[in-house]
Parts: sequence; C-alpha cells; structure tokens
Amino acid sequence: MITEILETLFLILTALMIAYLTRHYIFTLTVLKNHQKHEKATTVGNAAYQPTVSILIPALNEEKVIGRILQRMTELTYPKDKMEIIVIDDGSTDDTGKIAEQCSKAHSYIKVIHRSEKEGGRGKASTLNAGLKHAKGEIILCFDADYYPQRDILEKLTKEFADPKVGAVQGRVTVLNEPQNIVTRLVTLERIGGYRVDQQARDSLGLITQLGGTVAGLRRDLLESLGRWDESILAEDTDITFRVYLAGYKIRYVNEAECYEEAVESWRAYWKQRYRWAKGHMQCAFKHSLKVLKSSNLRFREKVDGLLLLNVYFIPILVLLSWIISVLLFFLKSPQWFGMFWALVPISLYSCVGNFAPFFEVGIGAYLDGRTRAQWLIPLLIFTFLYNIPICTKALIDLLISKIFRRNGNHWAKTVHSGNGNSYIMS
Amino acid sequence: MRMIPNLTPTTFIMLILGVSTFIFIMFLPALLELKKHKDAGPRLIMNDAPVMQTKIRETILMVNVEEEHGFDQILARKMADVMAVLPNLEA
Repeated sequence: MITEILETLFLILTALMIAYLTRHYIFTLTVLKNHQKHEKATTVGNAAYQPTVSILIPALNEEKVIGRILQRMTELTYPKDKMEIIVIDDGSTDDTGKIAEQCSKAHSYIKVIHRSEKEGGRGKASTLNAGLKHAKGEIILCFDADYYPQRDILEKLTKEFADPKVGAVQGRVTVLNEPQNIVTRLVTLERIGGYRVDQQARDSLGLITQLGGTVAGLRRDLLESLGRWDESILAEDTDITFRVYLAGYKIRYVNEAECYEEAVESWRAYWKQRYRWAKGHMQCAFKHSLKVLKSSNLRFREKVDGLLLLNVYFIPILVLLSWIISVLLFFLKSPQWFGMFWALVPISLYSCVGNFAPFFEVGIGAYLDGRTRAQWLIPLLIFTFLYNIPICTKALIDLLISKIFRRNGNHWAKTVHSGNGNSYIMS
Repeated sequence: MRMIPNLTPTTFIMLILGVSTFIFIMFLPALLELKKHKDAGPRLIMNDAPVMQTKIRETILMVNVEEEHGFDQILARKMADVMAVLPNLEA
C-alpha cells in the first residue's frame, strides 16, 4: 500500500518536472529561432513617444552606491523636462540622504524624500508607495540604488507604452561585479538564463512576462487603480505582475534596455536574498493561483505559464521530496526494469530542471551573448540549486507557520551593497 | 527481484573510480575557468560598449601581460596609452 502511494506520488512529481522541462525547452528553442528576428526588431518601436516619467529609487543605507546611480541619472539622454527622479531615503543611518541631497541641489529634477528610522525599513513596497505619493509622471519607473543603466534606457522602455494594452515594461539586468568571485559569476549565469532566454521567450510567446522590481516601469494610473504595491507581500514585483495581467494588461520585456546590477557577493547574502524571493513568491502563489485559473482576461497558455511561474519556488522542495521517494522505492519493491527506470528518470530530468533556469537555457543565453567561456562554469550551477533546496524549504516552513499562527512573518532582509561594482565602471 | 548488485571489492573500486572520474570530468572546465579567468565579463551594456570594451580589454590585457611576463606596470600602461592614440592618428 505504501509503495503504491509512493509510486503515485513519484509519478505526479515526475510529470510536474516534465512540464517544467518542456516549458524551458520551448523557451530555449523560441529564443534561438527568433534570435535574428529580435535583433532586427530592436530598431522597431515608437521612439517619438516620450511620456513624462518618475523614477523611484528606494535607498536604505546605500551610501556606497547612491552617488553612482544619481550621477548616471544625470547622464540619461531622456529629455530632462519630462523626467523626475525621486530618491526615497528609507530611514538610512549612513550618508545616503546627504549624498542624495547634494545631487538634488545640483539638479532640480532630483527630489529626495526622507523617511524616519521608524517609518523606514518596512520593505520595498512600503518605500515605493511612499515615493509614489510624490510622483507626477505618467510612467513610474523603479531602479534599485545599486543599478547603473544605459544612457538611453528610458527611451527604450517608455516606447512600449505607446501601445495602450501595455501596462508595464521590464528591462534586462546584467551583473556588473561578475568577475569578483564564484558567487557573482554564478549569479551572472542565472541572470543570463533568466533574462536573455526566459523573459525573452515569454515575451515572444505572449506568456507571462515577469516584472523584476527594478529596471521596470508601470503606468501610473494603472498602478493607482490596482491599489499601489502590496506591502504585505515580500515579492512585490511578482505580485504586481499578476495584478497587471489579471487586470487585462500586458507586460513587455525589452532585452536591449540593459542595466547593470551589483550582485550578491557571498553565499550568506545569496541565502538572504533568495529566501526573501522564495517566501515572497510563495505568498504570491497562495494569493494568485486560483485567480489566475478563474481569470477571463488570461488565455489558456497564459494560465498554464502563470501557474508554473507562480509555483516555481516550490520546485526545489519537490525535487528533494522526489529524491527521497526514489531512494525509498528503489529499496522497497521495484522489479529490475522498473528500478532502472526510477533510477534514471530523476537523474536525467532533475538535473535538467534542477536550476530555475536549466543548464541548457543558461548555455544558450551565454551563447547568444557571445559568452562561450562563461559556459564553462555551468556545471557549478548544481551547487546553487542544492543551496536553494534548504532556502526554499525554510521559506515554505516559515510561511506556513506565519499563516497558521496568523503572524506577520515578513522581515525585509536588505541586500547590502559594497560598492565594489564601482571599480568596473570606467568613464 | 531487486536491483542491488552484488558488490565485490573490484566492482566497488571500479564504481568509486568511475563516479570520481565522471565528477572530475564534469567539473574540469569550471575548475579551469575559475583558476584562470579567460572570460571577458562583465557583459558590456550596449551604448557604453565602445568606451568600456576598450578600457576593460586594456585592463585585462595589461593584467595578463604583467602576470605572464612580469612587465613593469607603469611601462605597460604607457604603452597602452600610446596604442589607444594610434587609430586616431590614422584618421
């Protein structure tokens, strides 16, 4: 009886893995097929459409990087009379506020909002909402303080809003401090797979393009009508993504709108960041899964992709469960041919699906970027995946505990930016 | 029938050697790349590419030259500066 239950469970989990595997194969093949078409498409777009934009930069103790992004903002090619930059000093205890104020004095389009230590530190959604109250632009763009965009990034992002069906837009994130150490190099590979292939394919196939919370823009009126960012969700970007789609709008991904980020530099920082992402994503899965299924604004394929996307952070936990079940099955019953099958399926499937962006997806992304040497590090992604198993498991346990005991378990573990990326920017 | 083979000492050693070799071969390229970076990262974002590409490549080139041949850093930098001006002279 137990064996039958285990076999059924294993079969269901394997089917789920196959679904994810197929999805990523389709993504990879789509991007490969459309590669040339997309290169041509980069020149297409309504460049004349230049709405007013408000750029929100939430900053909590970012003294090492805030000057860099504000300097860059002054170098943007977008008409200065059509843009405003709002730095939200989220109760910083370092010189973030002072540096921002200095920039504000020199440039009239830079504003600084100071939140007290008591008001601040409640998470990015809360900070963005505080900034939104002061924003006047038609389009709201978000950049993290450690980011460093292209000079013409606003033109590339805002042109998509010429289409009234587009509610939001997402640009590409590229790791700046990549050569720093093994963690930054592996994060780079994850980013390549995630943006160059995953996001690009979802955009091409008309699926659910995900807002990443930074290098992202939304229509201000849409954002207001949706009730702004949800402060109870740790992954406010995933949450707003689904709310935009459920409201009947689309999100476009613009691969050529690139922005540097400073990636986490240690395994400890990686844990904190991914734990926050995992828990936030799981919150969104609980909040939106049923709505996605019932929505009349989403097509069937969008529903399927939306559900797979919402539940992606459960995968490392399910893979761990599958591994345990497969070992149990191996010793409990299986006949020889059956045992062979059970032994091979997990290895082949899970090693493919293992990472959020599987190895072949990262490999193709690196190839399309002309980064053939970076591909040599791909086998090491198995370690980031293994690391994600305890991260996601802890996130799920903590989330369930907070739900059962009705506690607010949201603690915003801020990613610390060292400013080491500055050494890679040479003007 | 269960699929647990009879492990003799020879098959056990072969198994260990086989698995070790497989793991070593799988990670060998990564180890080589980690030991000596040859990738020209970080990726250059498009509009800054001309300036940054030149500067980053100069830096990488200089570091490689210094490491491999023990060149004087100041001299190498001066040489790089001169080389950077050459295309302008041709124009």
